[in-house]
Amino acid sequence: MAKKMLEVRELTTKYITRFHEDVYAVDHVSLSIEEGKSLGIAGESGCGKSTLALSLMGYYFPPLHYTSGDIIIDGTNISGMNPDDVRKNILGTEIAYIPQAAMNALNPTQKIMKFVEDVINAHDPKMPKNDIHDMAYKRFELLGLPKEALEKHAVELSGGMKQRVVIAISTILSPKVLIADEPSSALDVTSQKMVIKMLRDMMESGMIKSMIFITHELPLLYNVTDDIMVMYAGQIVERGTAKEMVFDPIHPYSKGLMGSIIVPEEGTRDKVLTAIPGTPPNLKNPPKGCRFAPRCKYATPTCSAMSIETKEFGEGRNYRCLMSVRKIREVYESEQQ
Amino acid sequence: MQGYRKYFTKKLVWFLITFIVAVTLNFILPRLMPADPVSAITGKLAAGNSDAKAVQKIYDRYAEEFGTNKPMWQQYLLFIKNMFRGDFGTSFSQYPRKVSNIIASAIWWTVCLQLPAILVGWILGNVLGALAAYLRKGWDKVLLPITIFLSNVPAFGMAVTLLVLFAIKWKIAPVAGGYAFDQIPNFSWAFIKSVITHYQLPFWSIVIISIGGQAIGMRSMSIYELNADYVKYARFLGVKDRKIVGYVFRNAMLPQITGLALSIGTMIGGALVAEIIFSYPGLGSTMYAAVTAADYPLISATTLIITIMVLIVTLLLDIIYGFIDPRVKAAQFDS
Repeated sequence: MAKKMLEVRELTTKYITRFHEDVYAVDHVSLSIEEGKSLGIAGESGCGKSTLALSLMGYYFPPLHYTSGDIIIDGTNISGMNPDDVRKNILGTEIAYIPQAAMNALNPTQKIMKFVEDVINAHDPKMPKNDIHDMAYKRFELLGLPKEALEKHAVELSGGMKQRVVIAISTILSPKVLIADEPSSALDVTSQKMVIKMLRDMMESGMIKSMIFITHELPLLYNVTDDIMVMYAGQIVERGTAKEMVFDPIHPYSKGLMGSIIVPEEGTRDKVLTAIPGTPPNLKNPPKGCRFAPRCKYATPTCSAMSIETKEFGEGRNYRCLMSVRKIREVYESEQQ
Repeated sequence: MQGYRKYFTKKLVWFLITFIVAVTLNFILPRLMPADPVSAITGKLAAGNSDAKAVQKIYDRYAEEFGTNKPMWQQYLLFIKNMFRGDFGTSFSQYPRKVSNIIASAIWWTVCLQLPAILVGWILGNVLGALAAYLRKGWDKVLLPITIFLSNVPAFGMAVTLLVLFAIKWKIAPVAGGYAFDQIPNFSWAFIKSVITHYQLPFWSIVIISIGGQAIGMRSMSIYELNADYVKYARFLGVKDRKIVGYVFRNAMLPQITGLALSIGTMIGGALVAEIIFSYPGLGSTMYAAVTAADYPLISATTLIITIMVLIVTLLLDIIYGFIDPRVKAAQFDS
């Protein structure tokens, strides 16, 4: 088995609101990624995807707080580490982040190169400027980005270029895990394609060793990542390979999510799109038992009464539902007829 | 670069148009006042003289000297011509002193009082605002409200309060003037000491009022910047907090520079209240005296100085912003 780059066990983080209420946006999440693999995380807005991305880095700012669980990056457990050690030795070098809004991710009054200097000096204070410049030029060349971009301010770059520059900066220290939070959602199709290609190339060349890709656009995940995880109300409801998740979703929520999108594969193009009724629950007081039960058309009173455990089946697949896999498949089949 | 030059050429043309309009208004507005300064002077000089002919002679003589007997357009052209030579004529109210002479002796008092007061108020306000945004707690909940309360006291109220408390009740500061009445301006220690003690009350009356306004602006800008996406991104790349705070306050300062520049530009008008209440020998008191005496040349000259200062400051701001804020520079290129 390949080496595990990232392993997360029962990670729970919460937001403490202004009114001192706890909101558990990431609730006992476990996941793992092997070297060279990528994992997609999908879900509706407000399901905790972005919070999971922030929580994985082990560096917390109010209102987000760590509660429990382990984050193990390439064998090192970073949860419980001193924040300044995390900042210096983990962020950027072990685990790196591409933010959701790259448009505003760069300081508007600073040249890109100056920011690169600050990023690298934060981890290696003694590295001379010339070496940093050489490193940045080389990396930009390797990624097919114009070197001149480094001498510019963020406002002078186009949206797509800004996003690619941000990716280049995030990965300049060749992190073991890259967390990309909707890196292409705000872009037009051409720029989107370039960004995806760039991320794929970086994976292939080993510049980054593994990647978590977060998006609400499922067709994109199908094309980009090896595995897909579906998140609902702060919990993982199902995990499988991209193909399995798109063509054979088990959990009713995954099924609904896949049913609400177009997958560019033959035979599915003329499918009728259906939306999932209802809205995600308020995480201030989540429903007891299965969190999806209030919106699930297969729900029974037991679903809301007892807590649902994650069940494993097949290789690396798991789901969180009271029904058995066989029962669910039967139900779905009978529906199609 | 060409876009840049075009931008500034356009700015310069507007600068000139504004200048011409302002100069014209400077000439016309005082002359619309319902008073005849020449009669006032004549009245003073001819007091007790009952010979109508003699009085008329005196009147004509001064009307000739001040040029008020000429048609308005000729006066205007003369005014423009003399303006470029730095000659604003003779003062009516302080006859026979030259206007340029009066201004030259008053302007340094104003600059030396106002410039440090504006700068100190601005710096204290910005530091306080930044601390209130970053540290919160006592800074935000106690000190900031106090300064905002103080800055909402009207300028005359603050000046009079300080005057009553420090000069009249506790007698630790002089009541009025730029220096003691028994002194003659020179470079002796006694004179300098006298200037410094007279300086305190007008200075602090301006500083205290300006802190709150600056602080509240800086505080909200800093909070806005602290929550910006680039701050979050830099943090997650492991950039040191000290560096990030540097980014934040540099960016939060940018709009504050406009405030600073404008208060420097309107310095003379801003000095009015403090100078009048403390009888400070600056341009503010001069302007006030000129207005009450309908002294056209002196009014025109002082308001012209204000106009020119504001114009220059705004032009400089445009140029400086292009250098310190790349967003503004990009917009300048585009226009």
